[in-house]
Amino acid sequence: MNKYHDDWIIAAPGILLLCFAFLVPVAGIMVLGIKNPDGSLTISYIERFLTDAYYLGVAWRTIKLSCIITLVCAIAGFPFAYVMARASPNLRVWLMILITLPLMTSVVVRTFGWMVLLGRGGLLPEALYLMGFVRRNYSLMHTEAAIIIGMIQILFPFMVLSIVGVILRLDPRIEEASRVMGCSFLASVKRVVLPLSIPGIVAGSLLVFTLSVSYFITPSLLGGARLPVLAGSIYETATKSQDWAFAAAQSLILFIGVLILLIPYISLTRKSHG
Amino acid sequence: MAAVVLNNVTKLFGETAVIKGISMSIAKGEFVSLLGPSGCGKTTLLRMIAGLEQTTSGSIIIGEKDSTALPPEKRDIAMVFQSYALLPHLNVFDNVMFPLRMRNLGTRQEQARRVKDVLEMVQLSHLATRRPRELSGGQQQRVAVARAVVSSPQVLLLDEPLSNLDARLRESMQEELIQLHRQTGLTTIFVTHDQEEALSLSDRIILLNEGTIEQEGTPAELYGAPTTRFSAGFMGSSNILDVELVMDGDACRAMLSAEDVLTLAKGYVRGGASTITFRQEDVQLAPAGDSTCTARVETAIFLGSRVRYVVRAGLHCIRCLATDGQIFKVGETVALQVAPNRIRVLD
Repeated sequence: MNKYHDDWIIAAPGILLLCFAFLVPVAGIMVLGIKNPDGSLTISYIERFLTDAYYLGVAWRTIKLSCIITLVCAIAGFPFAYVMARASPNLRVWLMILITLPLMTSVVVRTFGWMVLLGRGGLLPEALYLMGFVRRNYSLMHTEAAIIIGMIQILFPFMVLSIVGVILRLDPRIEEASRVMGCSFLASVKRVVLPLSIPGIVAGSLLVFTLSVSYFITPSLLGGARLPVLAGSIYETATKSQDWAFAAAQSLILFIGVLILLIPYISLTRKSHG
Repeated sequence: MAAVVLNNVTKLFGETAVIKGISMSIAKGEFVSLLGPSGCGKTTLLRMIAGLEQTTSGSIIIGEKDSTALPPEKRDIAMVFQSYALLPHLNVFDNVMFPLRMRNLGTRQEQARRVKDVLEMVQLSHLATRRPRELSGGQQQRVAVARAVVSSPQVLLLDEPLSNLDARLRESMQEELIQLHRQTGLTTIFVTHDQEEALSLSDRIILLNEGTIEQEGTPAELYGAPTTRFSAGFMGSSNILDVELVMDGDACRAMLSAEDVLTLAKGYVRGGASTITFRQEDVQLAPAGDSTCTARVETAIFLGSRVRYVVRAGLHCIRCLATDGQIFKVGETVALQVAPNRIRVLD
C-alpha cells in the first residue's frame, strides 16, 4: 500500500505535466469540435466533414499515403535493420550515425532539399529523363510520389531503430541453429528472424503510421495546394479560414481514426508477446 | 568407415592461431569428447565441423564427403547448443519437425511419425504443444536433443549441453545421453570442460590445449596414464611432483627429501631431476612407524564416504583421498605409501 503511494508521488510531476500541457488542451480542442458557439452539443461539423466529398478525399489520401509510407519503410527497414544488427560493432556505429544524422537536421531544411531534387531540372527528374522514362522538363514536385519520397526519408529511421532493438536482443545462436538444421541464409532470415522481429516491425509501423498521418510540413510543401492531406487541411482551416470549430472537428476525426487503426495493431503485438 | 575426418585443420582469428593443425578420425557410432580448459579451441573446432566457422587450412570430411567449404545447411550434421537455441515462436513439436521440413526428409506423415517417435524417446510427448519458454531447463535440453537426433545425421555435435543444468539434473541427463547414444548409434562429438563428464560419457577423449591435441585415448588411459604435465593436471586430482630420481641397485627411487623416498616400478632406469605423478586416491596413509616416507597432516576435510588430506613430505604438498576408516588429525605424523605401479614419470 505504502509502496503504491510512493510510486504515485514519484510519477506526480510527469502526470501533472501531461495533464496540463497535453490532456487538457487536447480535450479542449476536441470539445470545440462538437459544440455550437452558444455552448450546446452538435455533430454538425463532423457531419459536414463526412458528407463533403472534398474532405473525404483528403482523408482517403492521408490514409492511403500513410499506408504506402509505412509499408515501404517496413519492407526496406527490415533488411537494413538486420544488416545493422548483425554488422560488426564498428560498422554498426557508422550505420547508426548514418541513420540518425538526418534526425538532427531540420525537417523544413530537408524538405526544401527535396524540392530542389524533385523539381524541374532537379537530380531525380533529370536522371529519369536521361534514362528515357520521362519527357524533358518533367517535374516530380506536387505529386503523391514526392510526398511519399519525402516522408519515407524522414520516417525511415524510426522504423529501423524499432526493428534493430528487437533483432539485437535475439540470440544469434538461434540463427546458427536454423542453419545447422538445414536452412539456407535466406530461409533462416525468413523463417526465424522475420517472425521473431514482428514486435519491432509492429512498433515501427505504429510509429511511422501515426507520425505520417499527422505530418503537415512535408506533404504541404512537396504536394502543394492541390494535394492536401488531413493535417494540412486542419492547418488551412484554422489559419486561413479561421474556422476553429471545423478545424477541431477534423482533429477529432483524425484522432479517432488513428485510434481505430491502432487497436488491432496493439492486440497483434500483445499476441506475439504472450 | 570414419564418420568424420579432420586433416591438419587450422583456424586463424586475425593474426591469432586458435587451432594449430589438428588431425583426427572419428569412427562411425563412436562417442568422442573434446575436452579442455576454456580458450583451448574446443568449441571453435566443433563450430568448424558444423560449418559455423570457416576453416583457414586443412580439410574436414563428413561421411566421406569433403565438407570443408560447405555451408552448415549442406552438411549432414546436427548440433545441440549450450543455450539450446530453440525457436521461440514454434512449439515443441514444430521445433523437432523443423530440421525434417528444412531438409525435406520424407513425406509430411513420415515426418510427423518420426517427430512423435523421438519425442517418445525423450519422454516429452505430453508437452508437444508447449512453447519452449513454458518448459524447464531440463525439458528444453531434451527438446534440443530430440531436434538434433530426429534427422539421423552423420554426426551429432554437442556443445556443452549440460553446463546450464543443476548438478542433480546433469547426472540424470548424462545417463539419458548414454542411453540415447546406445539407442540411436549416432556418431557423437561432445565438447566439455568437465573431465568427469568426459570420463563418464565417452568412448574416447581428445584432450586439447592451446589449439593442439595434448593427448587422446580411452577414459581409462587418460585418467590412469596421463603422459604430460598438462594432462595430469587437467584430468584432476593428481599429484605432480618435481623430484630427484636416484638409481638404487635396479630400483629407481624418487627422493621427496633426503629421508623420504618413494619407489618406482621396475623398468624405470634413469636419474636426475624429473616430474612424477600419482593420483590422490592411490596414496595410502598409515600411523607413523617403520616406513620409507613420512609426512605431516596439514589439512583434513571430511567428505562423508571419504576424507581428503593435504600432507607435507619434505617440501612437497601431497593431496590424498582416503576411503578407509582411520582418521588422522591435523599435525599428526603419518607414514605415506604409494604402490610403485601407480607412480608415473612424465616426459
